[in-house]
Amino acid sequence: MKNSLKNRLLAGIVTATILLLATFSLTIYLSIRAALISQFDASLASVARVLAGSVEIDGNEIELEFELDKMSEFRDAARPAFYQLWAADGSVAARSELLGSNDLPLLKSETGVVVYGQFRTGDNIPLRVAGLVFAPRPADGEEGRGASAARTMLSLTVGRDCRGLLGQLRFLRRLLVAACGAVTILSVAIAAAVVRRGLGPLNAIAREIAAINQENLGARIGAAAPAEILPVKDRLNDLLAGLEDVFNRERRFTADVAHELRTPLAGLRSTMEVALSRRRDEDEYKAALVDSLAIVVGMNEMVNSLLMLARLDAGRVRLGAEQVRPAEVINSLWSALAEKATERGITFENQIPEDVTCRSDAEHLAIVLRNLLENAAEYTNQAGRIEVAARQAGDFVELVLSNTGCELSAEEASQVFDSFWRADQSRSEAVAHCGVGLALVKRITAALNAEITATVTQEKTFRITLRLPRAAE
Amino acid sequence: MRLLVIEDYRPLRESLAKGLREAGFAVDSTGDGSEGLWYARSNEYDVILLDLMLPGIDGLGILKKLRCGGDKTHILILTAKDTIEDRVEGLDLGADDYLVKPFAFEELLARVRALLRRSYRSKNPSIRIKDVELDLAGQRVRRGKNEISLTRREYALLEYLAMRAGETVSRTDIWEHLYEFTSSASSNVVDVYIGYLRKKLDEVGKPSLIKTIRGKGYTLEAGR
Repeated sequence: MKNSLKNRLLAGIVTATILLLATFSLTIYLSIRAALISQFDASLASVARVLAGSVEIDGNEIELEFELDKMSEFRDAARPAFYQLWAADGSVAARSELLGSNDLPLLKSETGVVVYGQFRTGDNIPLRVAGLVFAPRPADGEEGRGASAARTMLSLTVGRDCRGLLGQLRFLRRLLVAACGAVTILSVAIAAAVVRRGLGPLNAIAREIAAINQENLGARIGAAAPAEILPVKDRLNDLLAGLEDVFNRERRFTADVAHELRTPLAGLRSTMEVALSRRRDEDEYKAALVDSLAIVVGMNEMVNSLLMLARLDAGRVRLGAEQVRPAEVINSLWSALAEKATERGITFENQIPEDVTCRSDAEHLAIVLRNLLENAAEYTNQAGRIEVAARQAGDFVELVLSNTGCELSAEEASQVFDSFWRADQSRSEAVAHCGVGLALVKRITAALNAEITATVTQEKTFRITLRLPRAAE
Repeated sequence: MRLLVIEDYRPLRESLAKGLREAGFAVDSTGDGSEGLWYARSNEYDVILLDLMLPGIDGLGILKKLRCGGDKTHILILTAKDTIEDRVEGLDLGADDYLVKPFAFEELLARVRALLRRSYRSKNPSIRIKDVELDLAGQRVRRGKNEISLTRREYALLEYLAMRAGETVSRTDIWEHLYEFTSSASSNVVDVYIGYLRKKLDEVGKPSLIKTIRGKGYTLEAGR
């Protein structure tokens, strides 16, 4: 759950919100604070300048033009303002009565420039103070001597209780912190909802995928998907379709193999059980054994074919590319079948010229041709005819194998190669026994880069065309 | 009892026919679906053994056509298909039993006998008529304490009459149920075998167990 998309999105959104809020609030706080303080300071400065302007110097006497302590500014006990004036020698020339035993700090500054500071009185009252060093005005009528007097510099510090200002700033800070907290909590809630909604389709798809297993590969992901996930969904559905296909083919294949093996097994078992069910003479036992052996040989061939199919499918068969003379291969294969065929009056003609060569894997091509010839020998009608011919077609050699007496329809003929895969359908006599043989032929043909087709003519001639790469000159 | 075997795999078909004949049944067999359907329609079989994958018409097609035509013959499906869906489909289409290949021949025989008992509305593996007792599974006949040795044909005839005890059974019925399609025997063969049976079964001086109903056929009286 830690590494969930939802948590990551949430963490990102919330962190960004908090950072933005903090920066924004700090900026607001600092600018409001600066504005309030400078306003406060400005009023302090004007008081300081008025005060400075009211100081006269007469010789060594410092005189204040009016009674400062009577001004409302310096009398208000609730939000008092204070002043303190120092002579050039550092002695205190005047001070607010309200200061009592406290002293204001003496702030050093350039002449005529007001400097500001923060100060705490002995009673722990915070003050904002403004300091000014100034040349006092000479007393009336003593302008002429101003030259010496002008050098007498006085220092003035004015302070005012700034609890109100600090209170305002504190309130602002709390307001901002509270607002940030509330907005953060709200943003978490909103982001969670948005993320959940946004990831909804993903969750729906994930649930559908989770529900898919080997048993219901037919299911597809049907949940509506946003544009970003659509390709993923489509791809997954394609993948599922492919998987279902493979599974179904595999299942059908297994079922077909089971069927193809069970039927001869049933024959074998029944033949043996019937033979053993009573005492018989030697000839009867012998007949049962001959029948059983024939069944076993058939099964053996089928197992070999199945193994070869499996190996071809697994890509574990190495195929060579030798010069092969089909005429020779067919003659030697036919010699094994000739006797039985002749008994049934079948004529065989190999019309392939001796010098026709193709490029293929000799061993596997022989398996293909043997299966095709066996098939022809078995299904050709009594006194029928089997013909093998070859023709050159560009870079290919086409071997054409035809036999008479075919009872298949054109449609059935085109399906003989996948008869094994269609064992669930009713099959006509010819197809019924082809079983794995023709399926193997087709698979080997594909591995040999050859093509094979089957057709049936009006005259009931079954014709197989095998198109092989021609040998290089 | 007469059976029809429709199975396209020759070795299995032939060994089944042989084994069933040896077990006392009259057996017709074919490897083609359409031919099988024709056989089933033109004769009265007690049980049909039906493969599913057949050239011509497949087994389920034959089953459907027979049942649609109102045929009530017991049908036992023999197939390599063993999934539940396959079994259900076969049974739902009106098959009476389903046996998956490869099977034990003994089991096939037992199932055929079970279907025959159902045909003749009895679940008892032995039939008792007066003091004659037929053991259907062992195909043995006793009268009182004496075992009576019968040939296959004689036993088959007695069994058929016993299954239908109390009914009048026509010569044609007997002939149809006991003789194969390809058999060249004519129906007066039935009278000959009835004669053999009477000779072996009946006690001297007592009325015969098998009564002739003039112009109709024979009957084996029910009851103890």
